[in-house]
Amino acid sequence: MKDDEIIALVRAESSPWRRLRGTVALLGGLVGGTFLITLWATEPGPLPDRTRLVFALLALICAGWTAFGAWSVLGPRPLFALDGLVAGWLALAASLATTAVTVTVAADRGTGLAVAIAAGALFIGASAAITVRAHLRFRKIVRELARHRD
Amino acid sequence: MDNESLVLRCRLGDRAALTELVRAWHEPVLTYVRRMLGPGRADDVTQEVWVAVVRGLPRLKDPARFAPWLFTIARRAVATRLRAEYGEAALDAGAEPPAVPDGTEAVLDRAELFDGLAALPPREREILVLFYLEDLSLEDCAEICGIPLGTAKSRLHRARGLLRGQLEEKP
Repeated sequence: MKDDEIIALVRAESSPWRRLRGTVALLGGLVGGTFLITLWATEPGPLPDRTRLVFALLALICAGWTAFGAWSVLGPRPLFALDGLVAGWLALAASLATTAVTVTVAADRGTGLAVAIAAGALFIGASAAITVRAHLRFRKIVRELARHRD
Repeated sequence: MDNESLVLRCRLGDRAALTELVRAWHEPVLTYVRRMLGPGRADDVTQEVWVAVVRGLPRLKDPARFAPWLFTIARRAVATRLRAEYGEAALDAGAEPPAVPDGTEAVLDRAELFDGLAALPPREREILVLFYLEDLSLEDCAEICGIPLGTAKSRLHRARGLLRGQLEEKP
């Protein structure tokens, strides 16, 4: 077996695109699901059965994408420091955008504002913590590398 | 670039460093696996080793200990394959047999080692491969095999004796 075959295998295994796809699926599912549930929860009047069924089906699809994304991101594939950093910032940007939209919708409709703010705060807090942790990890390795080169 | 910097760059996510790391360590891993399992099964197991290495690399705490860590993974893959084929006692289980007298340290050269290794039991073959062919320290060999240093010394001593026996049996 030659070096090049192993290098191809290692590159495929460590490809950042697989992780990125998983991150996009996870965020898409979470953001879409949150937006959908906000819309549903802030409806001013009772909805027809058919509309409720469609909302439920769409929420289920979002949950499916969330589960698939979580499996891709948390699976055994390697998460290097730079990948973690990119994933953290993506999560933070998606959380901020989702919170802005859901809070605007809730305020516009006059119901569910507190729930939208609480859910948004939870998302932003979690993604900020992930991003800070990723930064610390990245900086620690950079420092180690600099110390080692000196 | 030294090994430790290479590992740190890999942990950052530098794919070029990962390629360099494979180029630097593929041959030693392949040599170890080939000597332990024979050429027929070496390719599959070497691939398994590298997949496990890439997946575990972000969690490697001490980059200076990369070599023992790498060979521990390789050893686990080899042990799994041997267990599947020969049962539990292949590489880990069982008490250490008594050491045999050994006065041949100086006369063993690499060519003789290659010839005699294949006939040795896996544990003895393993310590000789790690110590002589991979040029690892006895401390690293002990860590990789998961045994105390004293046990590693006596195992190496016994392995040399067995190898000498093998070589002397040859016409």
